[in-house]
Amino acid sequence: MGFIEINLNFGENTQLLAPFIAMIAIVWVFLVYYSYKKYGTKKTIMYFLPIIIATLLIESAGVAGGRYYYSGYIIYLSVVGGAVPLIIILAWSVNLFLFMHMGKYFISKVYRKQNFLQIVSISVTAGVFGVCLDLLEDPIAHYNNWWIWETSLSGIKFFNVPILNFIGWFILIFFMSVATLLIERSRFSENRKVLLSISSLAITGSVIFIFHALIVRLFEFVGLS
Amino acid sequence: MEKTIVQFILDNAFLFLPLGITGIVVTIILLFLPKQEATPEYEDVKSDFITIFKIRLNSYVLVYLFIWITMVIIGALSNFFIPTLIGGIIAAVPLILLVILEQRTNNSKVS
Repeated sequence: MGFIEINLNFGENTQLLAPFIAMIAIVWVFLVYYSYKKYGTKKTIMYFLPIIIATLLIESAGVAGGRYYYSGYIIYLSVVGGAVPLIIILAWSVNLFLFMHMGKYFISKVYRKQNFLQIVSISVTAGVFGVCLDLLEDPIAHYNNWWIWETSLSGIKFFNVPILNFIGWFILIFFMSVATLLIERSRFSENRKVLLSISSLAITGSVIFIFHALIVRLFEFVGLS
Repeated sequence: MEKTIVQFILDNAFLFLPLGITGIVVTIILLFLPKQEATPEYEDVKSDFITIFKIRLNSYVLVYLFIWITMVIIGALSNFFIPTLIGGIIAAVPLILLVILEQRTNNSKVS
């Protein structure tokens, strides 16, 4: 199994995959261009590259673990044994950039002082906004087989989507937003911020890992998962 | 049997541990190297607005609205009405909140 895999059976076992992919591609190109024009190259790399690396590892681990899989996409990337569509990784970078900036916009209306409380508030808002959109997106994706959750998965589900998925969305967007905002507002040079945003993934990833593990344990303990 | 991402990472610790340790060491080195720059205390978010047909819209709200409309259309075309309706209402909450907040801020500026 290589790092890049090409699937020639586009759309197999799925419905309406093409408009979904087109939507992500349009939004991704628009936001990357918008970020480049407004914030410049280095900040754009800082906003998009770390989440691409993080979700490539997380999604690949999720697929390799056998909880869900993707079928019908064209380009797949595989780093730890699970094949993840490229467009899904790009969609995650859209999620972080979009929800973090929506959170910034929302919180800046009610609390303008730039401190750690504002960073946490922005990140909570970003996570909540992300979950709100995912409550629309994930059931439609599952129904159309854009990604397929194993039916053997137990626990509470929202239209066949495990509730832990939504908690995972919140945790990922929240902690990635905190890390991105902390680095963005630090007093380091732009070059160092870019390097920090990538290297600090090890710390952010560890925190996400611990939080996710604790929540999974808690759900198992109370019988919700 | 399927595993959670946490279980998968624990089973493959030999792969993730070196990556994690390298990242942490590099981060610590980067944090403690000298040379720092000052940052402004406040950030201006006004330039996030774009005007289309004389209507002033926040770019991020516009993108979110585009995704929301596309997903609702796809949900409807899939004949998946109830989950699309429920999900659509929940996903509209951020849009409604941002529009209300924007209007209230504008009204308070005028008064």
